[in-house]
Formats: sequence, C-alpha cells, structure tokens
Amino acid sequence: MSERIGFYICHCGINIAYRVRVTEIAAYAASFPGVVVARDYLFMCSDPGQELIESDIKKHNLTRVVVASCSPRMHEKTFRSACARGGLNPYHAFHMVCVREHGSWVTENEDEATEKARIIVRAGLKRVSFQDTLIPSEFSVNSNSLVVGGGIAGMQAAIDIASSGFRAYLVEKEPTVGGHMLQYDKAFPTLDCTACIGTPKMVAVGQDKNVELRSYCEVEDVSGFVGNFKVTLNNKARYVKTNCTGCADCSKVCPVEFPNEWDVNTKMRKAIYLSFPQAVPVRYVIDKRTKAPCKTSCPAGTNVQGYVQMVKVGNYQQALNLIMERLPLPGVLGRVCPHPCESDCRRGLVDSSIAIRDLKRFAADNANLADVPQPEVEEIDKRVAIIGSGPVGLTVAYYLRRKGFKPTIFEAMEKPGGMLRTGIPDYRLPPAILDQEIDHILSTGVELKTGQALGADFTLASLKSDGFDAIFLGIGAHVPVKMNIENEEADGVVDAVPFLRRENLERPGSAKKRVVVIGGGNVAMDAARVAVRSGAETVAVVYRRSENEMPADHEEIEGAKEEGVEFFNLVGPKRVVIENNEVIGIECIKNELGPADASGRRRPVPVEGSEYIIDCDMIIPAIGQRVESAPVLKDTPIDLTAWGTFTVDSDTMETSIPGVFAAGDAVTGPATVVEAIAGGHKVVTAIERYLNQEMDLFDQERKAPEAVSVEDDFVPLPEGAALVARAKSAFIDPSERKFNFDEVDLGLSEKSAQSDADKCINCGGCCECKLCVDECKAGAIDHEVKDEKEVIDVGSIIIATGFDPLDPTPMLQYGYGKYANVFTNLEFERLSNATGPTLGKLLKRDLKDPMKFTDPPKSVAILHCIGSRDINYHEYCSRTCCMYALKYAHLLKDKCGHDTLVYNFYIDMRCFGKGYEEFYKKVQSEGVRMIRGKVGSITEDENGILTVLGEDTLSGRMVEIQVDMAILCTAMEPRSNAGDVMRKFGIGIGSDGFFQEEHPKLAPVSTPSSGVFLAGACQGPKDIPDTVAQAKGAAAECLALSAKGIVEVPPMISFIDPDVCVGCQVCIGLCPYSAIEFDMFNNISEVNSAVCKGCGSCAGHCPSGAAKVRHFTDQQVFAEIDGLLLN
Amino acid sequence: MSDFEPKIVGFFCNWCTFTAADLAGTSRLSYPSNIKIIRMMCSGMVDPKYVIKSFLNGADGVLIGGCWPGDCHYINGNLKARRRVAMLTEILKEYGIDESRLWLRWIAASEGTMLKEVATEMTDKLKELGPSPLNLDANRDNLNKDSKTA
Repeated sequence: MSERIGFYICHCGINIAYRVRVTEIAAYAASFPGVVVARDYLFMCSDPGQELIESDIKKHNLTRVVVASCSPRMHEKTFRSACARGGLNPYHAFHMVCVREHGSWVTENEDEATEKARIIVRAGLKRVSFQDTLIPSEFSVNSNSLVVGGGIAGMQAAIDIASSGFRAYLVEKEPTVGGHMLQYDKAFPTLDCTACIGTPKMVAVGQDKNVELRSYCEVEDVSGFVGNFKVTLNNKARYVKTNCTGCADCSKVCPVEFPNEWDVNTKMRKAIYLSFPQAVPVRYVIDKRTKAPCKTSCPAGTNVQGYVQMVKVGNYQQALNLIMERLPLPGVLGRVCPHPCESDCRRGLVDSSIAIRDLKRFAADNANLADVPQPEVEEIDKRVAIIGSGPVGLTVAYYLRRKGFKPTIFEAMEKPGGMLRTGIPDYRLPPAILDQEIDHILSTGVELKTGQALGADFTLASLKSDGFDAIFLGIGAHVPVKMNIENEEADGVVDAVPFLRRENLERPGSAKKRVVVIGGGNVAMDAARVAVRSGAETVAVVYRRSENEMPADHEEIEGAKEEGVEFFNLVGPKRVVIENNEVIGIECIKNELGPADASGRRRPVPVEGSEYIIDCDMIIPAIGQRVESAPVLKDTPIDLTAWGTFTVDSDTMETSIPGVFAAGDAVTGPATVVEAIAGGHKVVTAIERYLNQEMDLFDQERKAPEAVSVEDDFVPLPEGAALVARAKSAFIDPSERKFNFDEVDLGLSEKSAQSDADKCINCGGCCECKLCVDECKAGAIDHEVKDEKEVIDVGSIIIATGFDPLDPTPMLQYGYGKYANVFTNLEFERLSNATGPTLGKLLKRDLKDPMKFTDPPKSVAILHCIGSRDINYHEYCSRTCCMYALKYAHLLKDKCGHDTLVYNFYIDMRCFGKGYEEFYKKVQSEGVRMIRGKVGSITEDENGILTVLGEDTLSGRMVEIQVDMAILCTAMEPRSNAGDVMRKFGIGIGSDGFFQEEHPKLAPVSTPSSGVFLAGACQGPKDIPDTVAQAKGAAAECLALSAKGIVEVPPMISFIDPDVCVGCQVCIGLCPYSAIEFDMFNNISEVNSAVCKGCGSCAGHCPSGAAKVRHFTDQQVFAEIDGLLLN
Repeated sequence: MSDFEPKIVGFFCNWCTFTAADLAGTSRLSYPSNIKIIRMMCSGMVDPKYVIKSFLNGADGVLIGGCWPGDCHYINGNLKARRRVAMLTEILKEYGIDESRLWLRWIAASEGTMLKEVATEMTDKLKELGPSPLNLDANRDNLNKDSKTA
C-alpha cells in the first residue's frame, strides 16, 4: 500500500510564523511524494489542531502524520495520542519536526529560518514512511513510593501518599526530619511559629504506619524503571537503638563537644546528641567519624582519644579503665612508650601534638588499678603456659585471664618483668611502678612461677605432659649481637644488655672511668645514662650515622646530652685497642652517608684513612640483641627465621608446632614495649580460638574482602584556634639526677594535663569512652553497630532534597566570619528560635567568644540579595529573602524594642505572594527604614560597632550608618551534592544548578526520568507555601501511578534480529544494564525487553547489523540523513 | 569562498545535547542555521555508518553531542561514542575527510549557550576549511565560479 502522508505546520501563535514562512513550507510539503494533505494552523497543539489531524486521518485515509512545531520533548505525546485516536499506531504513523526551538527561535534571518525548516521537514517526511508499528509494553506498578529528603516538602509528600493508603518510604540523611523550615523561627507573612506548624508534620511522618521513616539514611543506588524501581538504602550506623527514650542522660556524661549543625554552629552539642529537642525520631545519634589517627597509630589499638578525653574531664579512673582494655601496663607505657600516636596527632598541624604519653602516665598515677572493672566471665578450665614475664607474656596472661582462661607464667629470673626490669633503667621506670602493675595482673588470678628457666627446669614437652592446653613463647631477645671487630673479647668490653641487667638488679656501680657506648638506639642511650650514674667520669656515644638517623627517642638523646654524654656521630668502631688484654681505647673510622638502604636510612660509608683512637677503659656495645632459641630447640624442633627468631603465621602467631604460639621480641627481634603488647593481643585472640577449636575463623577473615578504603572524615581542624604550647612535665635537674637512679620525669601537673587534653580536636568524633553506655538505663547504646544496607522496591520516587544556604565567607567586603556581629539569615533564625543558642532572644555575639551572646542590638542592618541577583554568584532571585528580611525587621522591633533602628538594604522588594504585600506595608508602618541600594562594605571598629557603607539609589547618595548587628540574606543554592543525586536518579540539572523539571510550566514536578518527581527547593528557590503545593503535586503524580497500577513503557528498545546475529556476543559486554543474554542453543544473543532501556550501545556497535533500536533503525536514520542532505 | 555555507548534521543525545538545543531555543540564542539536528536517544547509539552516510551524502561536517562523562543517562553510552569517534576519525582521514569535520562535544542539558558557541564555531571552522571533497554540489559551484572568473 502506498503511503498517504498528512503534514501540519504550526504557527505557534507567531512563535514559528514570525520567522518561518509556514505557508511556503506547507506548500513545499504538499509537493512531496506521498503527501496527500499539507496544512498550516495557528495552534496545532490545541483541541481544534488535534481534531484536524484526527479528522484528516479518517477523511484522507492517512497512514502517516508529520507535525512541524515545537520540540518533540514538549508535544510528541500530544500528537501521538491524536494519531492513536485517529486509529493509527502512533509509533508507526507519527513523526515530529522541531521548527521552533531548533528553527524560528534560533535563526534571525527569515529566509534562513524558512530554508532550515524546509530541510528538516524534508528529513521528517522521508523518515516517517520507514517507521514500524510498535506496541508499548505494560508493567505493573509497585504501589510504594520513595520520598528522598525529610524537609517540609518530603514530609508533606509522604503524608499525602500515606493518607491515601499507599506506603511511602521517607529517607532523610540527617538524624532528624524537619529540614530548613524547622530551623526557622517564624514563617512570613502570618508569623506563625514554624515549630507549631512543622512539628505536627514531623510527628505524623514518625507515627503514620504507612510512612516508613528512614532517618540518618541515604540512597545509595537506584535501578529499574518507572513502576519498578529497586533502591538500595544505606542506614547509617546511629549507635543508638530504637528503644532510646530521649532522656538525655547520655549526652550529660559525654565529654566530647562539637558545634551543633542544626544551630548552624551557634551552640555546642555533645558527640551523642539530638539535633534539637523536638527532633523526630526522638532517638539520639553518635557522631562517629574516621577512627582518630592516634588510635590507628597505636600498635596495641589503645583508645587514645578516649582516655585523653577522660583526663580532660578529670575522670582518671575511666581513663585508666580505657587504657587497661588494651594495655595491661599503663604506668610503664606512660613512661617508656615511643608514642607513635603523638607523631600522628592532628593537633600537631595546628600547634603541637597532645602530650599523649604524659597524659597516660598521669591517668595511671592518679587512678586505682584495683578499681579497674574485670569482666564477669565464666571460668574456663583450660591452662595456658606462658614462658617469659616480659610485656608480651604479661599481656597474654592478663587478657587470657580476663576471658576466663587459666594462665601460668614461667619466668627464668627471680623477679618478673623481663626487659622492663632488666633492660629499662630505674630512672626511667621505677621498679615500684612495675611491681604494682604486675601485682595487679597477678591479682586477677594469673599464676607466676619465677626461677623457672626453659630448657633447664622445664621444656615444651614437659609442659604438654603437665597438662597445659596451649603454650606461649614470649622469651624475648636477650643475647647481645657481636660487633665482629678485633679484640672484642677483651676485659672491659661489656655488652649493654648484661651491663644494664646487672646495674638494674644489683646496682654494683660497675662503670669504669671513661666509657664508650657503641650504638644509637634506646638501649645505647640507657647504657650511656646508666654509666653516668654508675661511676663513669666521661661517657661517649659512638654512632655510625648522623643524629637524624638515630633510632633512639628524641627525649632520651636530649636527656643523655643534658647529663653530659658526648656524641660522636658518623663514626664506626674498627678495633678495640688493648694493653694486657684490657681496653685502653677504641679505634674508630669516620663515615659519610651514602644512598639509603632497605630501612630507608642512609647507609654509612667509611672514609678511607680517617681512623683515629678514642681513649677509654670500658666499651659497651649496644648494637642489638637476638633470640636465644637453644633452650627451645633442645627437645622440640621448631622453625626459625634467618634472623634466629621464631617463624610464626602472621595472623595466628602460631609457630611451626601446633598449639605453641610466640610473639614479642622473640618474633620481631628487639622492638618496643607497645609492639610486644600488640603481638600479645593477636596471640590472645589466637589462643582463645585455638582452645575453642575455632581456628578456621582466621581463614574466613583472610578470605573476606578487604574493607573499601573511604576518604577520611575527621573532624576538621579548628580554624583560628589559639596556639597553645605543649604541656611539659617537670624534670629533675641534670646536675642532681646524674648521681642517682631516681625517676627523672616527674610527670604533668593536674592543671597542665587537663589543659593539654582540652587541646584534643577529637578527630574521630565520639571518643568511645563508653560512659554513655553505663549511663543509659534503657540499654539503648551499642558502639559496635555497622551501617546497614536495605533494598526496597518502589514504583515512584519524589526527590525533595532541598537547598544549601550560600556561605558568604568569600565575600570579604561583608566581613562574615571575621566580625562577630555579622550574621547569616539562618544564624539569625536560630537566635530567634526558642530552641536556639539564646532561647529566642535576639542578642549580640560576644566579641571574643563566638558561642556567647550578650545584649540586644540597638541598631541592625539587613542586607538583601547576598549572592542572589548577582552575576558573580547567582543570577536568579532566591524568592524568599525580601519577605524574611521584613520578618526579621518585625521580630527585631518586637523583641528588642520599638526604638531599635532597622535598616533594610534592598534592590527591589518582591512581595508577590498572598498577604505578602500587606505584610510589607505593615512592617514599613512599624518604622523600618528601607534603603534601595546594595551595601558596598562592612567594617568593624574595636568596640565591635559595624560601619555599613552603601548607596541609596533613590536619593543618589552614599549612606554610611553605624549598627550593632548586620544580617546577610544569603541565596538559596543547589545542594553541593546535586550532581551525585542527578546521576543516581537519572534526572537533569538546569543552568542554575537546580534540578530541571520536565517542562517549566506544564510539567513542573516531573523529570525526564519517568516515575521520578521533584518537590520543593531542590527544583528552584521556593517559599514554604509553594514548596508544600509542589510536594502535594508530586505526591499526586506518585498516587496516579500507584492507583492506576499499570504503566506503559516506551517501546523504543533494542532487539536483535535472530536471522542476522552471528553470536559474537560483543553486545553483551557493551550493554550497561546486562539486558542481553546469550542463547547457547541457537548461538545468538537476545534482548531481555524488561531490562533494556534502549540506549543503543549494542546497535551502534553490532558488526553484523543484527542489533537495532526500535524507532531508530538504520533505515529510519538513513532516511533522515538523506532528507537533510539530498533533494 | 565566503558565500560557502557548510552543511552540518548534528546527532544529539535526547537527554543532554538535544535538550540543550531546546534550551538555546527557549533562551532565543541565535546561531547559524547550517546545523540540522537528528535526535538520537544516546550518543552511544550513533552508529559509525550514520557518520559515513552523512559524509557520503555531502555533509561538510558532523557534530555528535552527548552528555558529559559521568552524566550519561545510560551510564556510559557517551564513553562508547568517544571511542567510536576516535576510531572513526582515523578511518575518515584515510578517505580524505579532514579530521576537523567530525566533532564530538559534551553539551549538558543546561548548556544552551555552549550549544550556540559550538554550532557557531563549527560553522566558522568549516567555512574556513571549505567544502568536503564529497560535497559535490559545492564543488561544482566552485568549479563553475572558477571557470567564470578565469
């Protein structure tokens, strides 16, 4: 059958006809092959226009219809329906040509516009005859709706959906619903209290059984299509369960404070908080961020932030309790820990890191070990032998005991403590402290057997036969490493480890007059300083690299220097000089620093011929220790590494012998106390699992995918914080301390400890001191909760994500953030609000403390259009500022007295809503000064008086006024994450950055994504009445879908011609929706039409031409190309 | 050559660049009428055949318009278009079609101004470049003119 085409060109009033000679186009179309009727008409989209098409179809037996008018995005649906009513399949019959947006409106010259129209009409006429009959698929609609954003728009939409009996999921990313409206004080022009009209909505969404409220939750992913969306939600961990009663007991004990976001940082809140008293849900939330760097850098995983906070508030016992959860030797670590936490402390980026180690010591010295709570556990009848009572052995014993196991420590020496006792000198670690802490560990039920040496008194085999269920080897590294130089065995060469052990335990004063210590580590420093105290007259340290590379702690090096120890750096020992087998000196060679070695430090390179001799009578090498494994190997073949340490599994710490574990120096080689403790914790976990026969848990953990690293979310560094010097302990004067072993460091005073702890930024948010857990009578707090994913099925989505207020800080001329009494509108709202920082009083801010408010202002300037109607920021009008500025003027007069001077600097007053103009008149009559013009600058004098300089454009004069307070009426901006939301939901953003509605007038709540609707200020600046109206509109759209229950999905999707497909499967990889499946039997690819969205990725690539997109086939597009280019 | 009016075919994605063209219209931004638009659902749908067909039919330029990377309505169709255009440019060069005749531009729905700028710039560039060797009409006109002036 030959085609019979009807052609229609629309005048669109004059919108098209003023540039395009429509009659000429109609005449051209009439001459086109197959066209049987060609008309021009004033308004094709009008009823008569559509009827024209319908009647022509019948009268002229039309098979095809082409309409040249506006964009198909506007009226394609309209004309398709007209064709359908005329009895034609609209996809087969209809094509639309855009001669308005792409023609008359963008072409200035009439001839050109007409010619362009003629060519694109020709393309349309050629294309239409190739179109196929298509039938849209129908799908059922899930009657649930999703509302994103819990402001007034979202709440209203959810309530409307719920009240019609359908279910609404209301997702709000903040802990409470309410949004900006609930932050405000009064709503113009009626001045009703927003809380009074807003909180009932909040309660309604909290209580309505048809509203599934998801607060503190974000939409993570959206898939599917209209009627059948699958949405993944991320319920952020709140750490407070639903049985929270909102009693506020928790926040009373919480030591951590941050500015409250809800009050735009005008007042403080705790880390566990409720945004404001009327929040819905009434359920506290804990502000947890990325774990603080001090916690993550502690090898033992101590809750550093927690105990620092406890010191801050003077709760030293809880500080100690927190420390004891990971460190069984708090006083020891408070003295000797190399404190990696302090290097990572972010306060160091401001002034100086917190004196964390000193604070730990302070807590340990000022709280009682006996009061540290021990978990109530059942006794487990499993015995663990722990060989060695050094820090790792004590750790393993203490924490296994806390789990109910029965540990027994075997110690070769007479007293427990290992290196802590024999290696660390008493002036650093008084034995009384060590005794006290070991006694505490033993008091929990740990058995100790001293004078029991492995290999001599017992063996691994004998332990097993004695009935021990597991064995731990924590024998340390006590054997000195040799220097391998000539005459090393001479009298007067005493290695550091035995030297220190003897001096520590017996104090014989064995140092000779002139001592040389070889090495640059902490052991070397200890040996040097002990030598000073043990009778040496001169002590020198010889180190082969420079001081920068020295592994010893800085404070130890300094301490040694203060005590008169001389340092020879970049010097290496070459030979011991002897006389009668007694040391008389050491020959050294000078070094230069070469390239870095494996440790990252620069390698020392000897300088030929630079040898010289240092006279001395005692040499103490302190260049390292190794493990004495012989006693173990005596009866048990155990695997050792090349360094002679025990080979262990890095996760389970199990040696090559099942049931025998090792950690500490015996595994790592000489390391720090805290590293030993870290190893101990791993062993505790492993032994527990071993004894419970759960070792396979390690395999599962190894298999589990590693946590995805997310960006750090620390509490930001404080801006403009006062620089505070680091707290310093008192030290005994070097001249005094040189002659005894008394503790050198006297520790911090209470005042300096607390003030230093107060510097802590609380990087991780909540400090996890767990005081709230003890305080909560409902037992609602659980610090271990994780984010929870939830997948929901919905049929329609409303986006009501609102706006961000503009930050005026970059507008330096207004001094916001610099001058105390320059406020933003939102800050002023919080001042005026009864739940705000001043409980509703309008007060000036204290010049020194931004969180303090003083007395009411006598004069106020209100600046309109801050960032709105400003080509440097936003060209659009924010539509609400004029009115709330009037409201502020009224509130100031009302609350601060009618003599308060209020100046409004405006550009134009836009009081367009119902009752708005009347409100304007009323406020004017209250004596508010209106000045038409923009303010150029605000300056502040030393008394905090603001000078506002502006122009009065009505009188043409400059005005300069002095005021107590200035309020900036800032613009409404698109949300900073609008781009992400746009991509997630497949909607568009307009040139102003707000979400784009489908049509500015006729489809103000729809988006190009079918089934996704907009409500409120996310679509553009709006006041409350407009927002509510739009929310109701969006709800109606959702309800229309849900009520109908069936949705038509456009049939323009891909299909693969089974006769042509060669089964190459390239399309399968290209399809972004995995909509193509491979039919093995027929060796062809097939499109799943329920999943395909018709993007054409497959069609654009298919090498055989089998894949096509319906309505965009090669023939159709070729015809259009031909039409554009060929006569 | 000054009166040479290049013929440009625009394959615009429905969601971004086609919408931008609508916005240019509603904003009354005028630009040269040389460009004629064919609506595609996605730039990733533009089969290389369509581009070749356009040049064979005498187009002086082809402009493919898509969403900015990351903004594609169909996740990543625009990136497929980008790879395809890169390949196609190489092939067209072999057949004497200057690479500056095939443009791929990301123009978001809100960028009506950019659409006007790109359309204007492309028209100007192609005027400078002269007709495509396959634009038989324009070449014939030139030939006639040349013979007249000679």
